[in-house]
Amino acid sequence: MIDYRVRFRTNLVIAACGLAAFAVVPFVANSGLLFLAGLVAINIVFGLSWNFLFSGVGLLSFGHAMFFAGGAYGMALITRHVPEMPFLLALVLGAACGGLIALVFGVVALRRASGVYFAVLTLAFSELIHILITKTTFLGRNDGLTGIPRPVIELGFGTLNLTSATAYYYFIIIAMTLVAVMMWCFQNAPAGRLLQAIRQDQMRTAFLGTPIQGWQLTAFVISGTVAAFCGAVMVPFTQIASPEIAYWTVSTQPILFTLLGGAGHFWGPAVGAILFGAIDYGTRTMHGLSEITVGVLLLAVVLIIPGGLLGLLKRRRAAASKSTRAETAGERTSETEAGK
Amino acid sequence: MMYDIGLTVFNGLAWAMATFLVAAGLTLIFGILHILNFAHGGFFMIGAYVSYTVMLAFGAGLPLWVFMIGAMAAAVVVGLLGWAVDMFVFRRLRDVEDAYSLIATYALLLVCGGAVQLIWGLNYLSVMPPPSLNSVVFIGDVFMPTYTIFVILSGVVAYIGLELLINRTQIGQLIRVVAVDPWMARLLGLNVTRIYLVTVIFSFAMAGVAGALLMPNQSLSPELGGIFLLQAFGVVIVGGMGSIRGAFLAALLLGMIESFGTYLFPQYPGIFFLLALAVILLVKPSGIMGKEQTA
Amino acid sequence: MSNGINRRGVMKGMAAAGLAMPFVNVRTAMAQSGPITIGVVTPLSGPAQLIGTFVREGAEIAVEHVNANGGINGREVELSFRDSKANPNDASVAARELIGSGVNLQLGTISSAVALAMGPLLQSEGGVVITSGAGTEKLNHENYNPHVFRVGDSPVSRNAGLVRHIANSRPDIRKWGGIIPDHEYGRTTWKIFEATMRKAIPELTGEEAQIAEPILVPYGSGDYRNYIAQAMRQDVQGIYTSVYGGDAVTLYQQASPFGLFDKIDVLLDSANEFLVATAMKDQTPAHWSGFHWYFEANKGNPLSDQLYSRYVERTGEKYPMGWAAEAHAAILAYKGAIEKADSTETTDVIAALKGLSFDSATGMRHIRAEDNQAIKNAELAFIEPSSSEPDGFAVTDYVSLEGEKVIEPARPGQMLDIDAL
Repeated sequence: MIDYRVRFRTNLVIAACGLAAFAVVPFVANSGLLFLAGLVAINIVFGLSWNFLFSGVGLLSFGHAMFFAGGAYGMALITRHVPEMPFLLALVLGAACGGLIALVFGVVALRRASGVYFAVLTLAFSELIHILITKTTFLGRNDGLTGIPRPVIELGFGTLNLTSATAYYYFIIIAMTLVAVMMWCFQNAPAGRLLQAIRQDQMRTAFLGTPIQGWQLTAFVISGTVAAFCGAVMVPFTQIASPEIAYWTVSTQPILFTLLGGAGHFWGPAVGAILFGAIDYGTRTMHGLSEITVGVLLLAVVLIIPGGLLGLLKRRRAAASKSTRAETAGERTSETEAGK
Repeated sequence: MMYDIGLTVFNGLAWAMATFLVAAGLTLIFGILHILNFAHGGFFMIGAYVSYTVMLAFGAGLPLWVFMIGAMAAAVVVGLLGWAVDMFVFRRLRDVEDAYSLIATYALLLVCGGAVQLIWGLNYLSVMPPPSLNSVVFIGDVFMPTYTIFVILSGVVAYIGLELLINRTQIGQLIRVVAVDPWMARLLGLNVTRIYLVTVIFSFAMAGVAGALLMPNQSLSPELGGIFLLQAFGVVIVGGMGSIRGAFLAALLLGMIESFGTYLFPQYPGIFFLLALAVILLVKPSGIMGKEQTA
Repeated sequence: MSNGINRRGVMKGMAAAGLAMPFVNVRTAMAQSGPITIGVVTPLSGPAQLIGTFVREGAEIAVEHVNANGGINGREVELSFRDSKANPNDASVAARELIGSGVNLQLGTISSAVALAMGPLLQSEGGVVITSGAGTEKLNHENYNPHVFRVGDSPVSRNAGLVRHIANSRPDIRKWGGIIPDHEYGRTTWKIFEATMRKAIPELTGEEAQIAEPILVPYGSGDYRNYIAQAMRQDVQGIYTSVYGGDAVTLYQQASPFGLFDKIDVLLDSANEFLVATAMKDQTPAHWSGFHWYFEANKGNPLSDQLYSRYVERTGEKYPMGWAAEAHAAILAYKGAIEKADSTETTDVIAALKGLSFDSATGMRHIRAEDNQAIKNAELAFIEPSSSEPDGFAVTDYVSLEGEKVIEPARPGQMLDIDAL
């Protein structure tokens, strides 16, 4: 029997430590690094939303950019056209844009495709949305929507001014921590464990009377909503929504974060996103060598530690207790323990 | 009107066979290793650059045989790279989830782009088709560049060759066995690892040849790797689970849709391929030649 | 006292080497002594890297020149490079980081989306950027921002220059078509081309211009035959194109067996300079191309001659792109502004850049105070294939048109008025 209360406490501590580490950034870093840290915080949850689908339900999405962009553009449109709308409501509506895209797409696609076919279907839809954005004047076409203001939140007893990058940064890391903890809770709640069961043995779970597709759709919509929330939170930070965020390379980002950090662990995407931010920062002055450097690093990680960084730690620990064949065993345990 | 339709069909065929040339190697690996090889575009690009170098060494006004030597050189070089990739990458990732192989191939694509840039530089390069392929023929009113006809024929030849190889030869039979059930094949005493290796080398060599054959049509730059990738992926997936015949039919179908779409709705360039891809997969999710999946 | 200067020197040295520790903002670093660091945020990787290399060469050659001639007010100039990846988010990280380490004067932006994102950012963070040639008209119109300057052509001066020259030299060509990328850039260039051509032809000949629907082509496609077929169907005498780089080479390559360029009298290329010709050599279709800077057209101008000879020495290549001259000009503009203001503070430099006249590789440029847009010569050259030339092509004609005559009126904060062109 797993004691979920102990686990919850452990993960809450992890989240709190992460929040604390990010909270220190404005005191020790310049504004460029602060900006990067804000993007990394958003990427962490973006990665979590993808892995929620991948490790949680076993669905490989290659089109997460469409949700992210959906949220970002939803948010950008609201702030431009309905500036009087309360900021938090706008965020919720932005996230709902992504959820809606996920719902429509999921209803159509989940019944039909699975595995790599599903992945390519998400890729194709995501590219269509990208093209749609670049062709819609309302959405600023290729130049995007620029000059999006940061909010001042009315709190009844006072106002919260988030117009400076640093203030908004704190809003980001708190919002992202909350969403991450909520995702952990969902994944470890009965519903999340049911999704696990679907992932591990769809047929048997179906025999138990579970509506498989209904649950898959639910998970898909949740994942899309969270990804869109990330996009919506990002827009006032970068103050621009441009079609680059809907491009297919953005869809590869959460995949890279997850696999680099370790798909078998809930915080794997977080580790991956931070590492990627670091690589990005480290290669920013290279003339023409950044792609090959990223490629070689990525290849090295995948070849040397195919379970991701957290998978490596776990394997080390497992190897200390018993010597099983590292790679497959490590994968197995990490699969069953996903969401730990 | 007839003229327009003839030309549109011809252009559709050209799109289809150029894409099939790229997709053929991709579908082979996908069928047997179940890896969607992102790096295929990168090795396609290296094939194009190798052949460019060979042609440059022979000087201007090249006869057809020099062009063919370029293609052979591209096949050999890229085939050898395939050997290295199988030894050092694919083989090591065989026991872990497919998603990791996917990431590895994505990393390889980045490495290919970086390597091309280091070896050949950033400038745009181009080569014209050999003079014997640089003319036009008229069929009725329709204007057909001989080089484009050559590309179409190459695609057809590649298709027939692959069909014969897979269905009529011993190695083809082994490949089919391993594709269906590698575990059983191993029990039967087949050297599965070697069959994988042969398939990968062959698939990479195909990428190299495709690069060489399509090069006179394309500007060369380190971005070339991405240009055919998405449409080749689409053809492989619509074709269904590593089926050569499926990929061939899918290429024809998507090529015609792309071509007629552009002809009829010129305000929306480049969108029909994606639309068709989405619609076909929704109607027949496992592709033209794929079997319906149970799980 | 000396201690403080030392620390500052170390920080700046590290910033220049790209090793700046991510510690607290060093706003004091841009003090009144020691070297002046200028940030270059430009694509150092990805599809636009080729352009980034020209920006880099141009900026470095300009810095060499400035330092060899006593620096700016006696202070050395240093460059600090950051990769923008031609993506607004990466460029934002880089620009903020540079400002955080005291580098408030920047250049190198080439992508329109990045240039548009820079304005609000620099306004809140306190910095200036001079774009090396972002091609959107919004920059000095509806998205005008006092912190963003463009020392290169405006899309209007570039395209109006092309149209004016072609219409004057070949007024008999009244039927025009266009092949343009299905992108904001393509639509902007076409809008300006069409409007100016519709005006120029009747003025010169008294007859209406006949301009066909433009053919839109996708970015990064491997197959342009269907679009070429569309162009073949049109009854036109001249074709205008703003398809760029590798796409243009592929397009021209695939169009050549169809005889598209034999069918028409003039091919007008808005911006490829030597990109197409150096790739296609003797297979290059004869065409007019717009230039940021064409070295032959500026022969005798010491700045241009020196930029060209240093470029050839450094790279071994004979055909620099005009982007190099725009980055070069950006450095010279900063020199002029800092000397005029005797300060490197953001507000002082902005005030000094507005209305600044400075010498550059294309001659004198004047930055309009109203919309931060430079007035400079519009240059274009006729490139023809030539089997006798070692490179397979030759420039057989070129012109440099006075900037005042082709620039649009300043309308900061408002949309471009097509009818007023």
